[in-house]
Amino acid sequence: MARRAKPGRGRRLLRLALLVLALGASAYVLYLDQRVRHEFEGRRFALPAKIYARPLELHVGLRVPEADVLGELRALGYRPVAHPGDSGWYVQDGATLEISVRPFVFWDGPQPARVLRVTFGDDAVTGLADAQGAPLALARLEPLLIGGIYPTNNEDRVLVRLNQVPKTLIGELIAVEDRRFYTHWGFDPRGLARAAYSMVTGRRIEGGSTLTQQLVKNFFLSPERTLGRKLTELAMAVLLELHYSKNEILETYLNEIYLGQDRDRAIHGVGLAAQFYFGKPIEDLTQAESALLVALVKGPAFYDPFRHPKRALARRNLVLREARDQHALTDEQYQLARATDLGLNAQRAMGTSPYPAFVDLVHRQLLSDYDEADLRSEGLRIFSTLDPRAQRAAEHALADRLDAFDRDKRFGAPGLEGAVVLADSQTGELQALVGGRDARYQGFNRALDALRPVGSLLKPAIYLTALEQPARYTLATLLDDSPFTWKARGAEPWRPVNYDRRFHGAVPLQTALAHSYNVAAARLGTELGVDKVIATAHRLGIEHELPPYAATLLGAADLSPFELAQMYQTIASGGFRVPLHAIRDVTTQDGKPLKRYPLAVEQAFPAAPVYLLVAGLQDVVREGTAKSLAEWLPPELGAAGKTGTTNDQRDAWFAGFTGDRVGVVWVGYDDNRAARLLGASAALPVWGETMAALEPQPLALPPPAGIERAWIDPQTGLRADAGCAGALELPFAAGSAPQARAPCAGAAGGGSVKSWFERIFGL
Amino acid sequence: MRILVLLLVALAAGCAAVAPEQPAPQQAPENAAVASLVQSARADADAGRLSSAEASLERALRIDPRNPRLWQQLAGVRLQQGDYVQAESLAARSNSWAGTDDVLRAENWRVIAEARRARGDDAGAQQALERAERYGR
Repeated sequence: MARRAKPGRGRRLLRLALLVLALGASAYVLYLDQRVRHEFEGRRFALPAKIYARPLELHVGLRVPEADVLGELRALGYRPVAHPGDSGWYVQDGATLEISVRPFVFWDGPQPARVLRVTFGDDAVTGLADAQGAPLALARLEPLLIGGIYPTNNEDRVLVRLNQVPKTLIGELIAVEDRRFYTHWGFDPRGLARAAYSMVTGRRIEGGSTLTQQLVKNFFLSPERTLGRKLTELAMAVLLELHYSKNEILETYLNEIYLGQDRDRAIHGVGLAAQFYFGKPIEDLTQAESALLVALVKGPAFYDPFRHPKRALARRNLVLREARDQHALTDEQYQLARATDLGLNAQRAMGTSPYPAFVDLVHRQLLSDYDEADLRSEGLRIFSTLDPRAQRAAEHALADRLDAFDRDKRFGAPGLEGAVVLADSQTGELQALVGGRDARYQGFNRALDALRPVGSLLKPAIYLTALEQPARYTLATLLDDSPFTWKARGAEPWRPVNYDRRFHGAVPLQTALAHSYNVAAARLGTELGVDKVIATAHRLGIEHELPPYAATLLGAADLSPFELAQMYQTIASGGFRVPLHAIRDVTTQDGKPLKRYPLAVEQAFPAAPVYLLVAGLQDVVREGTAKSLAEWLPPELGAAGKTGTTNDQRDAWFAGFTGDRVGVVWVGYDDNRAARLLGASAALPVWGETMAALEPQPLALPPPAGIERAWIDPQTGLRADAGCAGALELPFAAGSAPQARAPCAGAAGGGSVKSWFERIFGL
Repeated sequence: MRILVLLLVALAAGCAAVAPEQPAPQQAPENAAVASLVQSARADADAGRLSSAEASLERALRIDPRNPRLWQQLAGVRLQQGDYVQAESLAARSNSWAGTDDVLRAENWRVIAEARRARGDDAGAQQALERAERYGR
């Protein structure tokens, strides 16, 4: 006993050690098992929120050129040939367009597929009927998908069921990646050996890992390569096989696999890959197309068919050959598939969105109601207000103009930048947002985040404050545009000057606004009270705090184009502020309504003073600093607006509105260099070009009760008659029109201009 | 509340241009698209599907934002939804496009009176009712 005790004890120790090791290993395997089951079952693929543009609503009277409807159909991927029995096509026959609209689930319910006949005339829809020719009141196209809110790694996918995936794709995949998939236990020693052999000879194309191992690798593990990790991977693969059927594993694999990169968007799963590369649903892939997806498994970047078509083609054909050799394809199918080209979708890559600035805003507005995590994983469907026509028009106008300025000025890199905000002035829906010159670039969103001095764009707040006191101020009131010094405690004396370096003496309020006279505006603003003007700006929708100094009156305050658009929206809708918004509705992934963002209005000002201000802003376009707008828009349109230019011409602005849209344009340098461009020469053309492309509605505010019109002599601000040269007809709030007659009007009263002026201002 | 629903129905009827007892509105003939949306909004409002009614009216407003009847109807829906602040604002918006249509104005002031009363502003409601009276009916 004693003799056997020694080795016995050693053996026992060994046995104990082995037992402990075995226990430890089992515990580890148990842990892995838990993890595999937990994660595989608990795993729900993160589905990004999908963001849609507004649907195009067709009805008789809609002002839209046929070409723009065609453009929308093309962007939606409609084919220009009839496919009876199918949807998603159109046929153009002169002024008539036959459209087979795809089915779509809207916020207010599903809309079935149907055929429309649309007739155009004079850049408008003149007829709308169904396939039988019965007239229709209204028809919606499905909205364009404009982007998503992706998981942090920007993974995008479209989930598919195994039975949707073509049999040939599965056959090809198994032939190339894992021949014994249906028989192995998660790993394949023969495959490994062959992979090792092929590494040496470089002849075979099969990798060593089974599909199960590849899935484990993508699913659970980090990409480091160590022996320990390899063993864990092996164990997990076996465990996965123990718990789940081959079909479950294959379906998960097909949805997980990484198959390409679209700028910053990672293309995952065969469902999205089919859409991304071929623009079609997975069910419709041909054998050759399936083979290309299988070819990409090995290296989506290396075999990127857009960048390396030859390499991709060679790899695809290799896949096809393997598939034939493994009897996944007949020889005939192989020959046929081999002869086709790659068949790639011509559609331009969009990355996470072709409209990053707009999607950025949608995202921000959503965050007030949703968790970031839900947005990135729940597959919500977001119906936005983006109008792709308006967006396109704004992007083109900005890019074209800035290109031209850079060519002319040659100020060197980086070039001029700009931003555009465009909204429906009545409903507050944002139609376009351009965050910079390269509208595809997802970077600094100038439309929302560029805080720049606003210059004269704030002046309407001064004039509106004045016009709210009709007993003191009308459009005809003479303002004093003579040298002015403003002293405030603790500040340098402020001496505003005019852009033309001259003083203009006594000028009617409307003229001072039309020509953007700084001194008259500064005098008026200080007379009214800087705090009162600032309060008006806030009522108009400016949310940023404004410095309580006189210089703020002339725009020494930094604001974003978006905020100014809100301010001008309030003016454009006659004093009814409607918060600018980018979202209409949100539904779940399967179309259940979740939330609406209803139209909300608030009367921020009584109608009369805003009506007068709008008349003044129309005069800016008719006679004043924005006169050159006539190059783009006919005068009958009555567009209203305001130019803005800041010190040393660092910032060029234009803000204005037609009957249906309000827009703000900013142009300048990011690094604040002097741009040497005026609001009227740099920002206004972008605005004019954008609006002109969108069939603008005339601006005609309904005159509020009590508004009357009177002829005024601009020299004196008094009542005029036929005898007065250059007399103006101006609107006045009830009872506020001047009674005294100007000297030119002949009759008694009046006296000289100077004496009247001195009397009023006590000079 | 019943008065309100009746009012809404009457307005809707006016919108669909099938109200024989009312003088013909002095504005451009109703757009067929707008009329069809108004019709479905009315059906939805009658059935208590207020957010569908609201969505249809907003669709109609995108097509024809200067139509005071659409704003008025939306005000009515907001009233039914209990959003009295918006009901009053939207009725005021309707007034701003009302032109010479005093009947429409009177109806808007009634909506405003109702909204104010619901918010506990009886004096304001009384004033609004007086305005409504002044516009006739």
